[in-house]
Amino acid sequence: MSIEQLELNPRIIKAVNNANIGVARDILKFSGPDLQRLTRLSASDVHHLQTAVAALFCKKTPVSALQLYRGECPEWDCGLRVSLGCPVLDGVLRGGLLPWGLTELAGPSGAGKSQLAMQLCLSVQYPVQYGGLGSGALYICTEDSFPIRRLKQLQNEQPSLRSDVPPDVVSSICFSDNIYVEHAADLVGYSGAEGRCRNKLVPVLLAQGRVRLLVVDSVAALFRSEFQADQGLERSRHLTAFATALHKLSASYQLPILCVNQVTDVMEGDSNHDAGLRPVDSKVVPALGMAWANQVMVRLMVTRLPGAVSMGTQSSARRRLEVVFAPHLARDSCLFGVWREGTRGLPSPPTQDTSS
Amino acid sequence: MKPVSASPLSPSVKVKLLNAGFLTSEELLQLKPLQLSKEGGLSLEEALEVQQILREGVDLPGEGGAGLGSTALELLQQEERSIVTFCSSLDAALGGGVPVGKTTELCGTPGMGKTQLCLQLCIDVQIPECFGGLGGEAVFVDTEGSLVAQRVADMAQAAVQHCCLQDQDAEQRDALKDFTTESLLGHLYLMRCHDYVELLAQVQLLPDFLVKNPKVRLLVIDSLAFPFRRHFEDLSVRTRLLSGLAQQLIRMASQHRVAVVWTNQMTSQLRGGQWELVPALGESWGHSATQRLLLHWSGGRRLASVFKSPSQSESSVAYSVTREGFRDAGPLASSPSGREQDSSSQSESRQVSSSQSGSKRPRTQEGQ
Repeated sequence: MSIEQLELNPRIIKAVNNANIGVARDILKFSGPDLQRLTRLSASDVHHLQTAVAALFCKKTPVSALQLYRGECPEWDCGLRVSLGCPVLDGVLRGGLLPWGLTELAGPSGAGKSQLAMQLCLSVQYPVQYGGLGSGALYICTEDSFPIRRLKQLQNEQPSLRSDVPPDVVSSICFSDNIYVEHAADLVGYSGAEGRCRNKLVPVLLAQGRVRLLVVDSVAALFRSEFQADQGLERSRHLTAFATALHKLSASYQLPILCVNQVTDVMEGDSNHDAGLRPVDSKVVPALGMAWANQVMVRLMVTRLPGAVSMGTQSSARRRLEVVFAPHLARDSCLFGVWREGTRGLPSPPTQDTSS
Repeated sequence: MKPVSASPLSPSVKVKLLNAGFLTSEELLQLKPLQLSKEGGLSLEEALEVQQILREGVDLPGEGGAGLGSTALELLQQEERSIVTFCSSLDAALGGGVPVGKTTELCGTPGMGKTQLCLQLCIDVQIPECFGGLGGEAVFVDTEGSLVAQRVADMAQAAVQHCCLQDQDAEQRDALKDFTTESLLGHLYLMRCHDYVELLAQVQLLPDFLVKNPKVRLLVIDSLAFPFRRHFEDLSVRTRLLSGLAQQLIRMASQHRVAVVWTNQMTSQLRGGQWELVPALGESWGHSATQRLLLHWSGGRRLASVFKSPSQSESSVAYSVTREGFRDAGPLASSPSGREQDSSSQSESRQVSSSQSGSKRPRTQEGQ
C-alpha cells in the first residue's frame, strides 16, 4: 500500500514522500501535529491525508446490528452453529460451536476431549440444515498418535448417533476423505513467524473451502516441554504469536478453531486470580494461564465425575461439560457419557448436580 | 479575530508570517496576494493558499474551541446525563450511570461480563427520554469477534419488555411504539477491526461518522487491549500509539458529546515476590480513562469496583449477568430466567457485608 495510491492532491503526496515516512500504514502511527512537522503541510492537508489513509484500511462501511441479526453480513455472523452431534450437548451451547473464533475445550486426561473433537470433525461435514458446514476438518495432533481406529468406529456408528439425519445423507458423506490429520511436534515451529503452517497444503485447503474446522489437540503439550519456568516471558510471547496466527486464520477463512487444552491444579491462595477462568468449585484450571485465557473467546471444560451411567447395554463413566465463559452463553452444564457411537449428553436437569 | 499562531496553516508558513510581524488573520486577509507574498516572504502560491485557507475557515477536529473561555458554571449547566446500566447499585456507585462526555474503562479477566456490560449500555443509551434514558444511538467497535447477534437480540428484547412492564403515561406509551427490538438493533452501528492498524484507522474515521450521525451518544471499543497485546518489537511505539489513541478518544468524547467506553484485559505481574493481577497496557495507560471499573470475583460472586473516578468514591457492588443482560445481583437458581449457577445462595446479610468490606484494590503501579 503505497502513498501514490491515495486520491490526494499531488502536492500532498510529494510532501509525504519527501518526509520519508514509508508505507501508507505508517501514517496512521503519527499524530496530526507530528505529521505537520514532518511534512510541513497545513492542518487541513494533514487531515485529508489521514482520512484517505484510514479509508484504505477501513473499506467496510459500518453495519447495524439489525442487518447482522437478519443475516445480511454473512462474513461477520452468518447465524450458523456447528452442531456437536447431540441435542443435549448442543443445548448447552445454544446450538453448537460458533463458526468463528477460538473455542477452548479443557479438561483432565480421560475426560473425553479428543472424543468430542473427533465427533465435531464428523458433524461439521453434514450439510448446513443438519448442523454442519458441509466441509471438512483439519486435525493438528500433538500427541504421539492419532486415534485412527476410534475415528473409524465413530464413522461407522454415525447412522446410529445421528438418527435425526436421513440415512441416505449420512451414507453419501465420505467422512474419512474430509478429515486431514497433521502431526506437529512443535507448534511454535509449525506456525512460524508469519503464522503460516509449514505444510503448504493447509492454506490451499482453507482457500478452497475444503476445511471449515480446525482442531488443535492439544495446545498445552507443546508449550510445556519447550520452556522452563523462568522463561515465562518468552513463553508468553510465543503463546501470543501462536494465538495471533490462529486468529488471523480464523478471520481470513471464517474458520472455527477448537483448541484442546490440559488442566493444572489450582494453588492455595491463588483462588481469586483465576477465579473467573474455571468453574467455581473446580480444583483445576486450564493450563497456560491468563495470557492464553485472554485469547480465547469461548472456554468449555469437561470433567470426569465419580459413578457411571448406562444407556441400553452400554455403560460409561459420568462426565460433565460446562461453559466457563462465552460471550453468548450462560454458565450452563450437562452430563454426558462416551459410548460406542460417540459422545452423547444425558438429558437430566443440570441443576441437580453440584458435586465435582 | 484569530491570531496567526492559532490558524490552521502549516508551521513553516506560520513562522515566516510571524517573523514578518503579522499578528491576526484579519491582517493577512486585508492585503492583496502579491503584497502578502512580498511582505511575508512567501511565494505567490503560498500567499494565495494562505488566504484561501483563512477564508474557508476550515474547522478541524481539535481546533474547534468549544471550551474556550467558558466558566465552570457554564460547564456544570451543560453537564450531560448518564447512561444507566440496569444494575441499580452500579448506577448508584457511578453517580447515575456511565457519564456522557467522559471516557470509562472496564477491566476484568475473561468471562467477567465486560462485553455484556458494553452491550447493555448500547441498548440502554437508546431508551427514550421519557423513561429516563437518552434516546440516542450507539457505535460498537468489535476487535475480538465477541459480538454474537443472537445475544444482542435477546438483550434488546428484554429491555423492551422491561420498559413495557412499567407504569406508562401517554407520552411513554407513544414512545414505546418506536421502541422495539428491531429499532434497538437498527440504531446500534457495528464496526469490526482485526488488528491495531485497522483500529487506528477506524478511530481516525469516527469523528466524521459522529458528525453524520449526531444522535450517537455512546462509543464502545471491545476490546481495546486485544489488538495491542501482540508482540511489539519496541514497546515505546506501542505506548506512543496508545497515548495518541487515548487523546483522540478523549477529544471525541467531549467534542461530540458521547460516552466512550472501552474494555481492557488483566495481566499478571510479579510484585514483591507475589503474582498480582493488574490492568494490561501498562502504567501510563492507566491515566487515559476518566473513570475505571474493575469487574472481578470475590467470594463466589461478581463484583464491580469503581477504582478511579474524579467524582465518585471507591466502592464495590455486586452484579449478575443473566439471559436478559447485565442486572443487579439477586437470588439465584430458582429463577427461570437466570441460568447463573456460580453465585452461592447464601443469606442476604452476607451479601451486603462482603460488598462493603475489602474488595481487592488492584495495583496499577508497575514494579520497575
